[in-house]
Amino acid sequence: MASLSRWFSSEAPSAPGVRPTRLWSLRPKSDRESGDAITSNFLLHWFPAKVSKASMAWSYSFWLGTVTAALFLVTILSGLPLLLLYVPSVERAYQSVKDIEYVITFGRWLRAVHRLSAHGMVIAVVLHLARVFFTGAYKNGLGRNQQRQWNWVIGVAMLLVTLFLSFTGYLLPWDQLAFWAVTVGTNIASAVPFVGPEMRELLIGGRSIEQATLIRFYVLHIVFLPGALAALFAYHMWRVRKDGGLAKVDHEEVTESARPVSPSPTKTYTLLGVARGTSPAVSARSLVAPDTTVNAVPDMARRSMIVTLGTIAAISILAVFIASPLEEPANALVTPNPAKAPWYFLWLQEVVTDTTIHLGSFTINGAFIGGVILPGALVLLLTIWPWLDKSPALATGVWFPRSRRTQNIVFIVLMAAILLLTYVGMAMRGPYWQFYWPWEAWPDIPKRI
Amino acid sequence: MSDQKPPANRRDFLVKLGTGAGVVALATQGAASLRALVPNVSYDAPTTVKLGPPADYPDGLKFLADERLFVFRDGNTFHAVSATCTHLGCTVRAEALSRPETKTVDGQPLKLTHRFSCPCHGSKYDGDGTNVAGPAPKPLAWFRLSVSPDDGQLVVDLADPVDRTFRLTI
Repeated sequence: MASLSRWFSSEAPSAPGVRPTRLWSLRPKSDRESGDAITSNFLLHWFPAKVSKASMAWSYSFWLGTVTAALFLVTILSGLPLLLLYVPSVERAYQSVKDIEYVITFGRWLRAVHRLSAHGMVIAVVLHLARVFFTGAYKNGLGRNQQRQWNWVIGVAMLLVTLFLSFTGYLLPWDQLAFWAVTVGTNIASAVPFVGPEMRELLIGGRSIEQATLIRFYVLHIVFLPGALAALFAYHMWRVRKDGGLAKVDHEEVTESARPVSPSPTKTYTLLGVARGTSPAVSARSLVAPDTTVNAVPDMARRSMIVTLGTIAAISILAVFIASPLEEPANALVTPNPAKAPWYFLWLQEVVTDTTIHLGSFTINGAFIGGVILPGALVLLLTIWPWLDKSPALATGVWFPRSRRTQNIVFIVLMAAILLLTYVGMAMRGPYWQFYWPWEAWPDIPKRI
Repeated sequence: MSDQKPPANRRDFLVKLGTGAGVVALATQGAASLRALVPNVSYDAPTTVKLGPPADYPDGLKFLADERLFVFRDGNTFHAVSATCTHLGCTVRAEALSRPETKTVDGQPLKLTHRFSCPCHGSKYDGDGTNVAGPAPKPLAWFRLSVSPDDGQLVVDLADPVDRTFRLTI
């Protein structure tokens, strides 16, 4: 007890040089305590001491990375109670999700929060990627040892992990929606030449989607993929700091020249060896000038907390109104008509439908072109883009610079094509994947045969 | 003589030995873990399945959901066509033709009573399983039918695809 009370008290130390440290203090009682609070502050190690005002602007980054991270946090938090309620067995999975949905208090809300934040994360990651692309933020500026192109590569990897994380969660309710989306998705994997069927067998643990598949997807979903994403996230954030913050800062550095500023009363310039005399003339670029920077704590910490809380609030409120779908239990004998992939893969489903090539007696499966070659090429292109981009350093950290106009147009066209195909897959495909305009009624076709 | 490497001492050797042992241990554990994920015993459904006595089959088509199989009967001849779409593995649906037609398939006449459509990506097949539209890359498989010697039931071997001249005559 004595040692415990010492944690919480600020009594005088019993030995010289030994001072008590309090476990937690909202109101520091001395300068030393406030100093300790600062040096042991996690946010201060995460963020730099000073950040430029420009890089904090809402209209520059829209704080999309923070939104994504907040959504990841929400999926983890809402996933924890679901871990205790869900049973990963083919006999009981569906029933346990049904219980979560209809029996357990707040179960429906928790599941909706989990689902919406997972879907929101896919959207936020893509928007964040688009923002980084449009501002050329994967380009290096003037800082030393900048490796922004590698942080972009990490980001692309995180996008893929996010998609796979969402896809593995899709199977867990073990309903018709889940079963057939995963049937189609894993059959795309088997379209890879030579190793495809073996890859599919390793992924689903057999030749058909069964208990082995469910437990594999479950463990990937709750252990390996979140772990991988957390590790990548930590590295991503560390690189942002090593690269000198957002690319916006580099833009300020390039465009603004050093100008005289009044000496800061809190700095001992002489001691730091940057100037001589007692009243030195100090010049500074924007990154260190007092009028263009703010302290990361509290200014930036406060803003990121606003974004995080706002995201949590939005998801929590949406989850009250948007119910999560739960169809009939998975039935390997009945394929729903139409059978659709998760919305973020619908553009690929649309592509695999349209890309089977017949050349005389020779046929290339659309699953190979649309499911393997095309997405593979897009991911490869996305990954190596920073090395293809030869625009000047001035184009770093600004929206739509003239020197990057062509590549921005290419990016917009590709994104628009993906969005269009997604919309066609969502709203314009009816039974037997026939094309229907959104206002056309689907024919009445018996759901079973 | 200065460019000669200094003789390896015991510490260097032990560091290398330890690092090597660590790498080997991790690689072995990793390989063993991955190998454990490849099943040695398949609990998938058996591929040879009894389908009931031939008398249970009407003229025309009968769909067997468990086997994902269409069994066709024309008088005393039978053949079986897979219901698994060759594109991405969804179960195709049969639609009855308004008028049966006869088509020559691989030199043999075949009465077609149905055609097939896939609900996932809209592939279409003729009644003999030929892919005619949509993304399906090849025709639906035909499987070997036989009669069980012990109780006279129809038997399908889902691991034994046959060509489209196959008929089981009883």
